[in-house]
Amino acid sequence: MDVPAGTMLAVLGANGSGKSSFIKALLGVLSPLSGEVTWPHQKTHTVAYLAQRTEFDQLFPLRVRDLIAMGKWRGTRFWSRRSWAHSDELLDAAARVDLQGVLNEPMHILSGGQLQRALFARVIMQDAPFVFLDEPFSAIDEKSERLLQELILEWREQGRTVVLAIHDLSAVLRHCDAALLLGEGRATFGAPGEVLTAQNLIDQGYLSRDRAAWIVDHQVSLGLQRSA
Amino acid sequence: MWGYSFMRRAFAATTVLSVSMAPVGAFLVLRRLSLAGEAMAHAITPGIVIAFVFTGLSVTSLLVGGLAAGMAVATLSAVLSRTTIIRGDASLASFYLIALALGIFILSAAGSAVPLRSFLFGSILGLDDESLLLLGVVATVTLVSFSWLLRPLIMSTCDPAFFESQATRPWVTDQAFMVLLVLNLLGAFKTMGTLMAVGLLILPATAARCWAVSITGQIGFGVVFSLVSSWLGLCISYAFPDTPSGPAIILVAGFIFLLSTLVGPFGFGRRIRLRSFKADKPQTRAPV
Repeated sequence: MDVPAGTMLAVLGANGSGKSSFIKALLGVLSPLSGEVTWPHQKTHTVAYLAQRTEFDQLFPLRVRDLIAMGKWRGTRFWSRRSWAHSDELLDAAARVDLQGVLNEPMHILSGGQLQRALFARVIMQDAPFVFLDEPFSAIDEKSERLLQELILEWREQGRTVVLAIHDLSAVLRHCDAALLLGEGRATFGAPGEVLTAQNLIDQGYLSRDRAAWIVDHQVSLGLQRSA
Repeated sequence: MWGYSFMRRAFAATTVLSVSMAPVGAFLVLRRLSLAGEAMAHAITPGIVIAFVFTGLSVTSLLVGGLAAGMAVATLSAVLSRTTIIRGDASLASFYLIALALGIFILSAAGSAVPLRSFLFGSILGLDDESLLLLGVVATVTLVSFSWLLRPLIMSTCDPAFFESQATRPWVTDQAFMVLLVLNLLGAFKTMGTLMAVGLLILPATAARCWAVSITGQIGFGVVFSLVSSWLGLCISYAFPDTPSGPAIILVAGFIFLLSTLVGPFGFGRRIRLRSFKADKPQTRAPV
């Protein structure tokens, strides 16, 4: 499969179908069992990554400010005296995710939604042409989700390539340029309207037969597919 | 007290040791390796004993033997936990027990002149120039390495997935940290013995966690706490004749730790505040 620059690619699949592993393989953290990943240019420095929070240690003694400033780590040389934690850029990023008030607090007081917004601010700080998001909307409230969705759409407007693992089929149909459906040992890649057909979703173990009827209706209402 | 050169040496040694061990201890605790640190302290014993039996009490052989044994146990247990069903902590525990038993067995079999007691509890009041030099070298290496390692260590401890995606060689950070850990344990081994070596790593760091908001604070509080424990501990063991100084130091550190959990802003006080905060929040979930 070939993902042109500036694409917004959704990676879908049931739990355990390999969405996270696929993203990690793209990032070079895991080496693929077969096949290879080629990048247009040098990978590091230019990739923003927001992992699932399973490995994240929220009890680490760090101020919210410093957590967000981590996004600039790749660009900071050892001898650099510049403090990103107090830069205007950081204030702007914090303002975008509505966290100006808690910048000096230790990060363990943040709620799940606030932490996710702080991590999005870190992605903003990274200012990377490639953005990888692994289930960015899991376990956060409606308001935060709306805010973060707007940010992601904005990144696409700016011409960044966005790859995201996601479960919200309706959002994928509405906003994404391409979709990759993983499951049952197969991968289907293409435009969202073509990939997310009832047949594919049932065959690849994503939806049960009775739930699949819903996706057809939904696609019809979005004008993506003529009723079968 | 200052009239005795062995007391002056003991003060100098524990001061250097405190500054060197605080940053290592901070990350040992934050990386959830507290108990692994204890295990590593025992794991280096056979290396030190073998080096001692064959070359006598030289600092170089202690360094080489200890490093070799420590890295061997760390590597073996890592390989075992990756390739078999045995978990990491269990395999490390198994190897350190073997190593400790082997060390004490060889020590006794060789009919050593160094009593077991000084291996277990150290000989802080009998430090020679070479041992002081070793502590100086360990502290220098640790502090210089940390000036490079601090940022990568923060990231790999706090958010390993992010760190792996950003770093070119993420494993270097983890390995370098293990080497620094073993080096500091070796320094502490000479002064505090294999049983108490980890004390100055863990206790000031856990106490500092009750106070610190940032990692700088965590390390800073750690340095202060271990300095205070070392100095007070030495004074106490001087004031009460025939009391061992290693355990006295650790007891003071333990007292500071207990005090911190009681009055520190992130100790018991914080738990109470968190509970009342939760009670204030409206119930968002509808009853099922």
